[in-house]
Parts: sequence; C-alpha cells; structure tokens
Amino acid sequence: MATEKSLNAPGVQKEGPIRSFLRATELDTRILGMVGALLLIWCTFDILSGLVRPNDGLLGGSFLTPRNLWTLLVQTSSIAVMATGMVLVIVMRQIDLSVGSMLSMLAVAGAVVQVFQLGPWLGVGHPVIWIAGVVTCLIFGTLVGAFNGVLTAYLQIPSFIVTLGGLIAYSGIAFLLASGVTIAPMDRTFDIIGGGVPQSWLGPFWSWLLALLACGLIVLALINGRKQRRKFNFPLRPIWAEVALAAIGAVAVLGTTAVVNSYAWPFMLIKQYAQAHGVTIPPGVQNNDGDAICMAGDQVVRCTEGLIYYTGYSLPVLITLAVGAAMTFVATRTKFGRYIYAIGGNPEAAELAGINTRMVTVKVFALMGFLVGLSAIISSARLDAATNALGQSNELYVIAATVIGGTSLAGGVGTVYGALLGALLMQSIQSGMQLLNLPAAFQNIVVGTVLVLAVFVDQVYRRRVK
Amino acid sequence: MRKALFLAAIMLATTSNYALASGKLIAVSWKTFQEERWKTDEAAIKAVVEAAGDKYISTDAQNSAQKQAADIEGLIAQKPDVIIVVAYDSDGILPSIKAIKDAGIKAISYDVQFEDPDSLYITFDNVGVGRLMAKTMLAHGKKEGNFAFIKGDKGDPNATFLFSGIQEVLKPEIDSGKIKVVCDTFTDGWKPDNAQKNMEQCLTANNNKVDAVISENDGMASGVVAALTAQGLAGSVPVTGQDGDKAALNRVALGTQLVSVWKDSRILGKEAGMAAVALADGKPVSSLKGVSTFSSGKKGVKMNAILLQPDPITKANLEDVIKAGWVTKAEVCAGVKAGAVKACD
Repeated sequence: MATEKSLNAPGVQKEGPIRSFLRATELDTRILGMVGALLLIWCTFDILSGLVRPNDGLLGGSFLTPRNLWTLLVQTSSIAVMATGMVLVIVMRQIDLSVGSMLSMLAVAGAVVQVFQLGPWLGVGHPVIWIAGVVTCLIFGTLVGAFNGVLTAYLQIPSFIVTLGGLIAYSGIAFLLASGVTIAPMDRTFDIIGGGVPQSWLGPFWSWLLALLACGLIVLALINGRKQRRKFNFPLRPIWAEVALAAIGAVAVLGTTAVVNSYAWPFMLIKQYAQAHGVTIPPGVQNNDGDAICMAGDQVVRCTEGLIYYTGYSLPVLITLAVGAAMTFVATRTKFGRYIYAIGGNPEAAELAGINTRMVTVKVFALMGFLVGLSAIISSARLDAATNALGQSNELYVIAATVIGGTSLAGGVGTVYGALLGALLMQSIQSGMQLLNLPAAFQNIVVGTVLVLAVFVDQVYRRRVK
Repeated sequence: MRKALFLAAIMLATTSNYALASGKLIAVSWKTFQEERWKTDEAAIKAVVEAAGDKYISTDAQNSAQKQAADIEGLIAQKPDVIIVVAYDSDGILPSIKAIKDAGIKAISYDVQFEDPDSLYITFDNVGVGRLMAKTMLAHGKKEGNFAFIKGDKGDPNATFLFSGIQEVLKPEIDSGKIKVVCDTFTDGWKPDNAQKNMEQCLTANNNKVDAVISENDGMASGVVAALTAQGLAGSVPVTGQDGDKAALNRVALGTQLVSVWKDSRILGKEAGMAAVALADGKPVSSLKGVSTFSSGKKGVKMNAILLQPDPITKANLEDVIKAGWVTKAEVCAGVKAGAVKACD
C-alpha cells in the first residue's frame, strides 16, 4: 500500500467510526470507491445474465462463477501489464499513443522469428524457438520504447506527436513484416505463456503456497514500514490498524486464490490428460452438470464425483501480478521512481534539483516498450497467432484504464495498483456485456461513458478533499 | 460445376487476346492495403492491364472515406478510361462515382458493392460464401444443436451479405427447432482477439454447450479456435471461415477448423483487369463473359454484375489450394500426423 500522505490531515475534530478507520489505516478512499464500483458492476452483470440464462453464479447468473472470474483475469492481463507502464509515462506528464501499434509490430516480429525464421531451420518445437520469440519481443520493445523516449527527451518533440507518429508508422511496419498474413500456429511452449493450455495453470497446491507467501510478504512489508516510520520519527498507525490492513490484504489474496482454485479444468481436457498420462479414472454415476470425469461401464462421462483437476492461477495472471508488484516497487521505493513523480510534479524544479530529466524520460519510455513487448507475448500466445490487427486501438484501453485508476493527466499523481484495478474494471464491463450478448457498438458507448464518468467523479472528489 | 467454372476462369484469363488494346489508362482506387489479400488482387489486375499494353495507376484510401473521395478526384484529373473502385463506404462513395461518370469515365465496383445502375459489379458471390459455409456445416459438420454466430463488423455490407446466405440455408432448421442459436454477435473490426473474447463469453454463458460455430472469416476463426482449445473443444466443435488464410488452411488440415471458403483473389483480379481493358476499348458491358443482372443489394438497384463462385476448402479438397499454388504443402501440412489427411501424404 502506498504511504505517501502525511497523517496530519487538517481540521480533524469529531469523526465517525468509518472515517476514523480510514484515517488510521490510511487506505486510499478513491481506490475503495473503485473496488466498490467493481463489486457493484459484477453483481449487476450476474443478476442480468441470470435473467437471460440462469447459471451457478453467486446471484444466479454467469458472471460471478469461478470460471468467468478466472477468464476475466486472463482477459485483463495484456492491457493491465501495459497500464502499469502507462502510469509512469502519464505521471511524468507524457503520453504514449503508440502502444497498440507497437504491440502489433512486436507480436508480428516475434511470430516471424518463430514461425518463418527459426521454425523451418531448427525444426518445429525446438526449445530455442520460444526463447528467441520472447527475447525478440522484449528487446525490440525496449529499443522502440527508448527510441520514442530519445525523440521526446533529446529532440524535444512532444511525446504526443512522437507516439502519434508511432501509432501510424508501427502499424505499417507490422503489416510489412508479415505482408499482412496471419501468422500461426505459434510454438507450443510459447503458447503456455498465453494461459490457454493446462501447462500454464499452476494448480491448487502451488497457488495456495504462493498465496501464503504473498500474505507473509504483506505482513513483512507492514512490519518494515512501521520500523522505517519509527526510524524517521514519522507518526505510526495504531496497532489495530496495522492488523486490520494485514487482514484486508490476506482476505483479498486468499479469496482470489480460493476463486481460481475452484475453477475445474474443462471436462475434455481432464479426459485428454488422463488418457495421455495413463491416470486411472474411477467408476461413478453420470451427471452432465458435474465437473469431474468417471467411468460408467467402459465410457468416460461427466460426473460430480471422480477425477478432477483445478486450474489455480494461470501464467499470464501471475505475470501481471508480478509486474504490478515490481512496478509498484519501482514507483514508490526506488530513486528512479521518486524522480519520475518529482518530474511530473514540477519538471523545472526537478531539473534544477539536479535530476537528469532527459535520461529519466528515455528510461520510462524504454520501460513502457519492454512492457508492451511482454503484452505482445501474452496476447499472441493467447491467440496462438499474430496478425497486424492484434493490439489495434489498445492504446485507448490502456490510457483509459490508467486514467480510471486515478492517474492524473496533469502529471505527478498516479498509482500502479489503481491502473490494475482500472484495467480490471474496463474488462469487467466488456466481458459482462459480451456475456449478455450485447452488440459491440453498445459496448463502446458504455466503456466511453464510464471513462468520462470515472474522471468526473475523481475530479469532484479531489476538489472536495482540497 | 464449381470446379468447371473455376477452370474456365483460368482458361479465360490465360488465353484471351489483348492485342487490340494499347495505351489506355486503367486506375484503381483501393480502400486499403491493410490486409494481405489486396496486394494479391493488385498484382493480378496490374498483370492483365500491362499485358494488354495499357497503363496502371492506383491510390490507397487507407480505410478512410474522405481520403478515398480525394483519391478519386485525383484519379479523374489524370483522365483514365476506367476506374476500378474498392469502396470503403458503399454509400459514401456514390458522389465520387457520379463525378467519375460525369467525367465520361467508366466505373467498376470491385468486391465491395456500391449501388449504381451504370457501373459493373465484379465480386465473388458473397451471399454464396455464406450459403457455402452453412451448407458445408450441415453436410460435414453438425446438422443440429446449439449454434454460435460470430459475425464480422457491423458496418461492412459483406458481413450482412454473408449472414443472409447463412440464414437462407439454416432458417428451416432454426424454425423447426433442430438448430438453436445460442450466441449471435458482431465483431468490431473483424478482429481475432475480439472474436476470441466473444467466444470465451459465449462458452461461459452456455457452460460449453455449443455444438458448432459459424465464424464469418478465417481471422476470427483463429480467435474462436483459440477459445475452444482452452476448453478442450477444438476439433470436436466444427468452425467455419473464409479467405483461405494460410493459418486457416493449416487448421483445416489439423481438423480444428471445418472449412475455409476460398475466394482466389487472383482470379477476381484477372476478371476485373480483363473487364477494365475491354471497357476501356469501348466494348459494351453485355459483351463481357459471365455478366448477369444483380439486384440483391441494400437498395435493390439493378446493375450488371460478374459473380464468381468460391470454393469451400475442407480436409477432402485441400489439394485444390496446393495445386493452384496458393500455399505450399509444407505450410498447409505443418504439424499434421502422417495418414490423417490425404492432401498431406
């Protein structure tokens, strides 16, 4: 959790229990508002989808089922990874409009390396192929990002123009690289990164282990934070507030883990896996609503009791969470991160204070490019194909997610976890409307409206706090 | 029948005599070069035009109706004999078509229909593509059960033409209740990743109880198959497509896609090139081979049209695309087990 604000809030006299709880725990109320909005959206979609077609969701629909929430996390990951980088770009008072086209270009480049270059040469499935695909996307992405940065910082071209040029030019390069062809299939090992195959699912055991580890880290971070505050004579949170924070973190982590651990493998995949690995399938009674498989006579059928596997966290989601943690660390705990916020707050002052603003700008754009490379890997692995249409107009969703997540276009303000939540919120709306079978045009209207509304609410809130 | 037509088209293209024409100017206003196929079309048209001793010029509207209007003004200024137009917006283009006619130039509506009674419309029969998808599904895929429709972009008239062909074939089965439509969505920009998300949500909403997917093109089929693969359903749920994309033909060989309706754009380009050359020489439209009257557009305008028949490529006739030199055997057969598909052995 961010601990940027001082506790000496002015004019605190009498306050209710909720307000005093919020003040003591220093929870960001805007983020709480977003979580509230997210839960409201989820419940609404569950009820609405239940009206269309009743299902096992918490409120009788299809939205609040482990399966849909699991899919939602995977669907969010590509945009979410890019949004964590966009936060830093926007905080620094810059913008990157080229991320969508860059994603197409990098995905196609990675695919060309895998399918056209190395595939025929090394033979399909050679382990070097997927590594080369990944490395190509990441290095190429970092270079292109750095290029955007150099043009912005050293040639003094506004980043809006540099990346608008990139938006147009990179999609052209993406087209030329593959002469417009859809490149598929990708390397089998590469596909694991996309989360569509059982090898990319962690399973309940490792998911729980990871969750416990994360809980441990939360507690350690809180203890460490308290120690630091004491060292520098900062006001401390009351002990009960620290415990409450630890509890909230643990409940969130364990709750998410419980959800992903209760999504069973698709029936057909359990069957394929059992047959391929010679797992004995227990006998049982057929029930087509069950998630397990069993033998009824010599037939493999669906049933409630029998052989069952659960997915747990999938690789793209883990990557997103890891990126989120790493970027939060970079933004709040490193000199580089503080420089970015300082530049965003007041560029002249930052420069006068001796910060090499140009170098920081290049680094931030390079980091953005690296993350776009990562997203290119995730989305092309997930689709098991790369085309120049992949990623088109993603820049709009990335920027929208960042802004919905509380990052101010005026610079200096923004959090990584806010952007992650923003991405989840937008994908929730889209997935929910797809579940209801609403037309795409309608989805666009709603997403656009939500974006403007979110920023408006945020502005009102900021004004009132001031 | 289809094959015979196909052969006839090739024969026609290779044996025609262009000796009469020379020095005419043929212009093409392309709507985009964003997708792979348009470059193929261009090469075919250019080859025919230049073989006839005429000159070829072109513009690329880059998916913008405004740019296309300006492009056409520029082309008219160069006084060509014929302008072939691939319209980005089939209604928005009409003022430009009027300007072409006012300048005494002949217009050809290529692939995308604009409804102008004096122009010639050359295309693959798009309603026919839809019909073929549905017919192949009924004959070699599923005859009944839960069907999902993954349609193209709402603004593209071809998406609607396709769907009317699909509906025409499937309607009796839908009315009798044998086929239940469980999902029916348009896909923004025909994008594969949108189609993948649509399919994922369709499977979630129906607990995987989807028996067949009618996807209106191959790009979207790649997204659909990725969504099915994640549920272990790829190969058991038949999926349709069109365009003859290399990746899609590979999926047909692997069994994860049922059919890719193939429109050989080289033949379409040749036909258009030949028609343009003939019109530039002052020959009447009625003298062209394969001309019929077409009036099933949105407004029902009657116009002369050359409708080519597409070829549905399934496992059984994969050798068609290999023999025609459209793709190599290695591309189609990548990852296919020996003995599984005839064309790959």
